[in-house]
Amino acid sequence: MIMNNRNIFRVLHYALLIILTAFFLFPVLWVVLSSFKPQSELFQIPIQIMPQQWTFENYIEAMSRGDFVQYFANSVFVSVTATIITVLISIMAGYGFSKYIFVGRDFLFIVMLATLMIPLQVIMVPIFLQLKASGLLNTLWGIIIPPSATPTGIFLARQYMATLPNSMIEAARIDGAEESRIFFHIILPLSKPIVATITIFSFMWRWNDYLWPLIVILDDKKQTIQQALANFVGQLQINWSQLLAMTTVAIIPVVIIFLVFQKYFMTGISAGAVKG
Amino acid sequence: MKKSVLSMIVLVLVLGMFVPTMAQEDVTLSVLWFNDANESEVFLDTIQPYLDENPNIKIDMQVVAFSDYEKKIKMLLSGDSAPDIARVTNNQIPVFLSELEPIAPYIEDIKDVESAFMAASLAFAKNENDEIIAYPTEATANGMIVNKTAFEKAGVDVAEVSKTWTWTEWEEIIKKVIAVEGNPTYGLALDFTPHRFSTLLFEFGGRMMNDDYTAVNFSNEKTVETITWFKRMHDEKLIPESVWLGSENPAELFQAGVVACHIGGSWNINVYAKNIKDFEWMVVVPPKGEIVSSVPGGKFVASFKSSKNKEEAQKLMAWFSEDGPNAKYCCDTFNLSSRIDSSVEYPSNTSDFAAFSEALKATPVYVANEWKNPVLSQISPIIKEQIVLALMGDITPADAAAEIDKKGAEMMK
Amino acid sequence: MKSIRLESRSASRGNFHQLLAPLLFIAPAFFIFFWFIIVPAFQGLRMSFMDYSFFSESTFVGIQNFSRLMSDKVFWITVKNTIYYSFITVALLTIFSLIAGLLLHDNTLKGVKVFRASMYIPSLLSMITVGIAWRFILGDQMGIVNYLLRTFGHDGMQWLTSRSTAMSSVIFVSIWAQTGYYMVIMLSGLQAIPHELYEAAEIDGANSLNAFWHITLPLLKSTVLAVMVLATIASFKAYELISVMTQGGPGYSTKLIVQQIYQVAFTEDRLGYASSMSVVLMIIIGLFTLLQFRIVGSEYDYE
Repeated sequence: MIMNNRNIFRVLHYALLIILTAFFLFPVLWVVLSSFKPQSELFQIPIQIMPQQWTFENYIEAMSRGDFVQYFANSVFVSVTATIITVLISIMAGYGFSKYIFVGRDFLFIVMLATLMIPLQVIMVPIFLQLKASGLLNTLWGIIIPPSATPTGIFLARQYMATLPNSMIEAARIDGAEESRIFFHIILPLSKPIVATITIFSFMWRWNDYLWPLIVILDDKKQTIQQALANFVGQLQINWSQLLAMTTVAIIPVVIIFLVFQKYFMTGISAGAVKG
Repeated sequence: MKKSVLSMIVLVLVLGMFVPTMAQEDVTLSVLWFNDANESEVFLDTIQPYLDENPNIKIDMQVVAFSDYEKKIKMLLSGDSAPDIARVTNNQIPVFLSELEPIAPYIEDIKDVESAFMAASLAFAKNENDEIIAYPTEATANGMIVNKTAFEKAGVDVAEVSKTWTWTEWEEIIKKVIAVEGNPTYGLALDFTPHRFSTLLFEFGGRMMNDDYTAVNFSNEKTVETITWFKRMHDEKLIPESVWLGSENPAELFQAGVVACHIGGSWNINVYAKNIKDFEWMVVVPPKGEIVSSVPGGKFVASFKSSKNKEEAQKLMAWFSEDGPNAKYCCDTFNLSSRIDSSVEYPSNTSDFAAFSEALKATPVYVANEWKNPVLSQISPIIKEQIVLALMGDITPADAAAEIDKKGAEMMK
Repeated sequence: MKSIRLESRSASRGNFHQLLAPLLFIAPAFFIFFWFIIVPAFQGLRMSFMDYSFFSESTFVGIQNFSRLMSDKVFWITVKNTIYYSFITVALLTIFSLIAGLLLHDNTLKGVKVFRASMYIPSLLSMITVGIAWRFILGDQMGIVNYLLRTFGHDGMQWLTSRSTAMSSVIFVSIWAQTGYYMVIMLSGLQAIPHELYEAAEIDGANSLNAFWHITLPLLKSTVLAVMVLATIASFKAYELISVMTQGGPGYSTKLIVQQIYQVAFTEDRLGYASSMSVVLMIIIGLFTLLQFRIVGSEYDYE
């Protein structure tokens, strides 16, 4: 009887998942399939989901516009470097905010969180001048460093670490461990799920980042993939076919990063660590 | 191609560091561009002969998406990093008017330029002192594109009737056309922009500003009448609501055969020529209201007062604007030329381009003079919103016009 | 409140290292914020008291921008729209991402990787791509839903064209585009809950609903709070997707604050006025965020 209940539950579980997946994937599927349609098929009635005539032309044409290999390389360099920095900075700050008490802690935290609330485009010119003064204008570091300290990353790290029991830290301190040692040897290994999450997010943020490159970059050789994508949208016309083709190419690296890092979700907290 | 240009720039820059004194100083011109299709490549391709002749000139081009193009220029200007050459639209010139460098000091006789370009294009390219501050490159015109096959199915030879038709006649004909089984369900689609709407407005004899262009003035009989007519067309389902109320793209609707006529711009020729396979289409003279009118627009190249290499930039722009390069550029980008004497010959659609050109020439001067006023660009979203509110029946057309004027007055201060 | 007691216990043992350590941990992030965001933001704050435009003299006008804002009808319509949009979007996003997280929490589930990735992919697309994909589904004339309705003899719905459905359609698509993102946060939180607690509960005879209420939800509190706060901030700043799908229309039906701010700042070239709107926006978001911290509570304890 119990077995039976379980099976029914399983079937329902899968059915629900399959429906949800279809719902989430259908528009994406349309994007991918449409990228293989000749432009003349894109706006056609009656509506066709499958291309009637498969073509790679959109990909070939899009790639030939500008130096896509270079843009891709820039995006990879920026995303990887920025992600490493972001993860480190976020975990450190998240730990500082969640496991210590000091004067002005909540104030500092709120100030950081508040920076998320600013519509950045309004202060784009002051940011530009600040970057210029810092000598970061027209460098890839200019797209890497300023957005690498992200309130979201810090906030997520703080919320996660808050759930880690204080008893372990206490115990380590009694054993005479230094603060940095506690961080690297106790906290960091326990933080794999949140490290994975921030890695996945940070890579996506930097990969999809459009605003910072817009502010920083002045030179075609340093463009990133998102700027190149945005260029398909003109004043009077939108080059849908090429936009869809390049969108399809551009999401592949982010999906790969997701698939690689999601396995660290699985390494949740082991029993011993918690009971401490 | 582009890559080799870039690597040459790098090479020359590196060499330049080691060889400080050269006969002719190397100049790298920074060029800021945006694309509708592939204009940046065509531009580089077109100026190649000039670069061959002047090996000391190098080009460093950055292409920025149109949606943020203006912001980018504003940032560059506030950071004292103005590009040497920038592509600008007729809407952007008013924004940067005081920052653009007049071209007269750099050429022998400004009259040559004055006489080479269409009056409408030149109107956009002048600052408040009547100095030319940009070279017109390609022109755009608004006009009507029709689904010829759909008209034929209703037994109408649209090429013939459109020679003299009025809006009243158009309405009669179009009702016949959309009644035919398998034909488009709607008569007309109009791009969701005040610029395209003004095509109708001018045709109906309306104005957007007062006679000396010192105030926004939608509250005149003919303009209100235009909005009223536009609403009636929506109510009678001759125009699909999904464009002005729902942001569906008229060009897509036309391509899909949902609408029989499209009031759009000359740039659509390029897309339609490529994409439409199921029916025949053509550009016609729009029906006559009070007058027959188009609305001019276009692109320009310009240099800034704070640009570092103005001299060389102006030389290149002057060369690029001559008939030879200009014709090649306009032909390869499939656009109308801003030059009066243009020798451009298109590989196809010659009559469609000619129809737009004709409409441009028939257009009264005040059309360009109104649109060159920055306040119209600034209140453009408000014009849209108020017209939509009138279409939804929330306010009367007269109220919409009054509200637009109020906002305009606020911005003129 | 309990945790504060716990923390103060650890702090009371504090020596010099323990006082300095948190500052060092926070320093790198704080310096970057300070230099690249906070300093420019103060410029923005200054602008909100100025009649500021790009190429003309800027003058101090005191609180004139703010007093004008009070009577700006359109601005308050967008405020109302934004609060409505955010309230529904945040509520649904929190619920759906939690459900998705719970459904995909089990690592032994066959195909779990693929399911997770499928839900995450929509959040990878740029808003303009999301916009076109959904216009293809919901468009009046070109939409597949209406196409199907018409084949079955229905007239079709004006999903994005009618003021009664436009906002709901836009919220629907926002949920589609973001659920996967917040699901990832929920998953990371769910993984932090020790399995032992569930095993113990099962031995005590608790069913899964009980376990959810008494173990999962309390321990997931800080994650749920994170999702709610981040979703609130994101919703209050939303504009891209909506400007692609409806341009804020029809009329003002779906126009949100940030779209209005950018219109005033860049189209109308009134940066000072736009800055004062941004300040008001920040105050509103700040209030809602504090409210959430109050209601959900940021504290956590283990007993």
